[in-house]
Amino acid sequence: MRITLTILIISFFLGSSSLALAQSTTPGGARTTGSVDFGGRFTSTTGDEARYERYRDLRNGATSHIEVRKDTSKYLFNVRVDNAGYRDQRYGADYDANGKVRLAFGWDSIPLNYSYISSTPWVEQSKGVWTLSKSARQAVQDRAAGVVGIPTTASQLLQPSIYRGLASSFDLQYRRDNATASAKVAASKDVTLDLAFKSSRRDGYRPWAASFAFNNANELPMPLDDRTKDVTAGFELVKPEGMIRVAYDGSWFNNALHDFVWDNPLRATDTNPFDPSGYSNGNGPAQGRMALSPSNAMNVVSVIGLYKMPNHTTLNSSIAFSQNTQNDTLIPWTINNVILPTMQPLPRTTAEAKVQGINALLNFTSRPTQLLGLTMRYRYNRHDNMTPMFDAREYVRFDAVPEETGGETEQFDITQNTFDIAGTLNLTSRIPLRLTYTLDDFKRGGRAFSDMTDYTFRSSLDILQTQYVTVRSQYENTHRIGTGFSQDAIEEGGAQPGLRFYDEADRSRNKGTIIVQLDPATMVSLNLLMAAGKDHYHGPGLEFGLKDNSNGSYNVGVDVTPNDTMSLGANFGYDIYNTHQDSRNANPPADLTAVPPVAASDYGSWFDPNRTWNMHNRERVNNAGMYLDLIKLAPNTDVRFSYDYSDSDNAFILGGPRVQELETGRALSGPSAIVYPGFTIPAPCTPAGSTCFEQLPAVTNTWQRVSLDVKHFFTQKVGIAVGYWFEKLDIADFATVDLPGQPGTPRTDYLGAILTGYGNRPYKASTGFLRLLYLF
Amino acid sequence: MLPGLARGAQVAKPVPADGYAGSEACATCHEDKATSLASTQHGRAGNPRTPAATQGCESCHGPGKAHAEAGGGIGVGGIVNPSKLLPQRASETCTSCHDRGTHALWSGSQHDQRNVGCVTCHSVHAPKGERQIKAASQMELCGTCHKNIVNRQHRFTHMPVREGKVECTSCHNPHGSANVKLLRVGTTVDDSCTSCHSEKRGPHLWEHAPVANACVTCHNPHGSNNERLLEAKLPYLCQRCHVTSRHPPTVYDGFVMRNSQNANKIISRGCVNCHQQIHGSNAPSGQFFLR
Repeated sequence: MRITLTILIISFFLGSSSLALAQSTTPGGARTTGSVDFGGRFTSTTGDEARYERYRDLRNGATSHIEVRKDTSKYLFNVRVDNAGYRDQRYGADYDANGKVRLAFGWDSIPLNYSYISSTPWVEQSKGVWTLSKSARQAVQDRAAGVVGIPTTASQLLQPSIYRGLASSFDLQYRRDNATASAKVAASKDVTLDLAFKSSRRDGYRPWAASFAFNNANELPMPLDDRTKDVTAGFELVKPEGMIRVAYDGSWFNNALHDFVWDNPLRATDTNPFDPSGYSNGNGPAQGRMALSPSNAMNVVSVIGLYKMPNHTTLNSSIAFSQNTQNDTLIPWTINNVILPTMQPLPRTTAEAKVQGINALLNFTSRPTQLLGLTMRYRYNRHDNMTPMFDAREYVRFDAVPEETGGETEQFDITQNTFDIAGTLNLTSRIPLRLTYTLDDFKRGGRAFSDMTDYTFRSSLDILQTQYVTVRSQYENTHRIGTGFSQDAIEEGGAQPGLRFYDEADRSRNKGTIIVQLDPATMVSLNLLMAAGKDHYHGPGLEFGLKDNSNGSYNVGVDVTPNDTMSLGANFGYDIYNTHQDSRNANPPADLTAVPPVAASDYGSWFDPNRTWNMHNRERVNNAGMYLDLIKLAPNTDVRFSYDYSDSDNAFILGGPRVQELETGRALSGPSAIVYPGFTIPAPCTPAGSTCFEQLPAVTNTWQRVSLDVKHFFTQKVGIAVGYWFEKLDIADFATVDLPGQPGTPRTDYLGAILTGYGNRPYKASTGFLRLLYLF
Repeated sequence: MLPGLARGAQVAKPVPADGYAGSEACATCHEDKATSLASTQHGRAGNPRTPAATQGCESCHGPGKAHAEAGGGIGVGGIVNPSKLLPQRASETCTSCHDRGTHALWSGSQHDQRNVGCVTCHSVHAPKGERQIKAASQMELCGTCHKNIVNRQHRFTHMPVREGKVECTSCHNPHGSANVKLLRVGTTVDDSCTSCHSEKRGPHLWEHAPVANACVTCHNPHGSNNERLLEAKLPYLCQRCHVTSRHPPTVYDGFVMRNSQNANKIISRGCVNCHQQIHGSNAPSGQFFLR
């Protein structure tokens, strides 16, 4: 079917081009030109084929790339076709009547291929409803001898889960189809009207988690069936003094699937009566139900203006008013028929969710002399969440247990004011020095800091457009300071009092960049980039969370163009990232003043610094690339070659007193440990012959790609092309689980989980192209 | 009419004003430039806004009569070569026409302030890529300065840029924007991301604070060696903020992964194996993003 479609399209364009050639010479020199590039594609893959394809369709078959352009005195018309008939096909057409009317149409399919080696024991009963074998679930529920539902211990891993044998294979993938259309009409010399429409549809399946308890995490193929429609309508008036544009943007997301229901692999029936620990031990419901992404709408009205003043001075501004709404019907508290009758009615039946926004920007720029320049900018952004509070203090956890530990919904309002002033002093005509000061203030509701301000100083020094060298350098220093801190906001969420969230904690940031381009000769260009930065999180009381974050990026490259027929180049880059975070692994503190009192569940680990641990993430990435283009170096022949390489080593190094305890099997005693009467500090687990701690290995991946394309024209119009792609990915990721002794074969039943098998696995692939070329 | 001049012009050629030589005069010496211009939008005389329909070559290069009468030469007769001007001055030539639509907020934008002007990225006479850019692709062009960002496209998880489905300008407007970071759409980072990922737009009944401001708290849109473009691998990313009691700050290591049901916090999707609705939940029982 795909090949047939490709051939039909090729034939259409070849036929049209023949007709166009006969008509190509018209009064005024109108021309029809284009190219047809089609042929065969042949792919061979070992390993994770879906990862190789990812966003492409590289199946064996036909390949096509067509462009036609008709150029007359009255209009210009373009049509483009890529990979017709395949999951990544793309079509486009543009019509331009000398600026009076401009039309554009497009269709672009983007696949996302997760895995071709997935499997699942669930069966899609209907869209959004997935069922499991009732007899298997009953056997698991009854703890039938020799039956493992979801493994929870190392010994259970030695035996396949009952669900492994029930699993069916499937391709886990979906496709996004974007259709676009736009029109721009010059109603007069000064007035332009524009209208644009986009429809984006997603169809297929993606991996989705749907769980029941700490020991019962599942991954299923989630069906996708949604569409987003966007409309833009604008009016623009342009005069020599400036312009103004008024526009409306509307966007509607519609999800054809409201909720998702799936069977519990550990239960055939709802636990009756419910088990208060059901969220932990798996004694929960027979089914789960989850609300999927709600249909929503966004409307924006905006105005943009520009005013030109004398002495190289301009003022431009924009203002936008937006409203986001979502009013989906709410699913019940639970699908559990044992619990649902005991619950109060929902406070309301629909979401009534609404956010209103205002954004304004004002830019003033003046360069009155060759020596000086000034830019001032003010931005206001307001995000008001007006969704009414929803009382869920009584709720149901995991469809398993009704609890009183829920809460009320929180809506996070944000008001941001940013003021920026920059002065430029041209030390010489080619060396501008620029100094900038920015004050960026956030007022936020529902967070630990009600107010957070970034004070930033930037300086840049450039050397521009000299014969041999261009330099761009910038340094930035930012201090973030939070005020209006609420300790309750931290502790009400059950967090350690010393926790600070890194997106609002006090922070010092330093970063700098320098880019150098050297052109020692007209045919050679050398470029160098160095960038480094460090964030340090601090502030009163900060004890836990992200503490430090540093990065560096170094790139060097060369481009050589000895003549019009040859160009080559290479670049090498090295990136380095380090982060450090602190945490504490503890049970909740006692609260003897609470009604009823909450006794400590152990010796008071909440306060024990020996329970503190840290994680240092160290990532190193090497990048390299080279290219060689030989254009008509041999008669009528073009050769293009490129090679890309990326190699990453991403290590997660755990340490600190808690890790030391686990490594040695000995509880550290310390003066800060609070030992409640009747408790002793327990030793960490000490299984015979081993410790209870193993560093996880670094996640490594090395990706390489070779691309070669050779085109040879026998005549001015007809030619042949041979192409070759080679890609190799080597990857080791501890989070991807394969069957023992069978690397590359997913294990779908692992500790605490039934999965689809989607993961990060290596591949090696080659794709060859043999194409015919026709120019007209 | 010399070859290469404005194609198929059906309108009367403008009479050169005082001090102007006319495009035919320019083409006498600069035939290659005239030819290259004719195949571009600037060369469409039927469009009244183009140089071809106004003063031709001299629309951008300034009056050329003195230059032509003096026999030519670099800068002779006051002739202007925008590619040799400082970027901000050259940009003023371009923005005398390109001062509307997506270019309306150019003045004072980040690139303008840093002397990255029109002629830094575009070539009127010798473009190599679409929209008259100086490189064959946007990645190549933007990588001239933003090489460290472009390199991220080769990371393990990435947007489909290297596959040709998304470009730098799919998200950014290098000509100026009402949004931060020159993002093309909307007025916040989240507006930009949810213009395509509209299923995450909400608003939801239960909001996750870092999602409201902003997506880049957890994700790096340019590419990452962690799954789903995350800044760090799960569970460690979540553990930066969730330091409570019991399981969020548990030490998840290789021993747990091989021996305990809590391996489901490490393998596959990590914390999101249970907290799937991490971007916000519309379920009444969705406080912890489990439903």
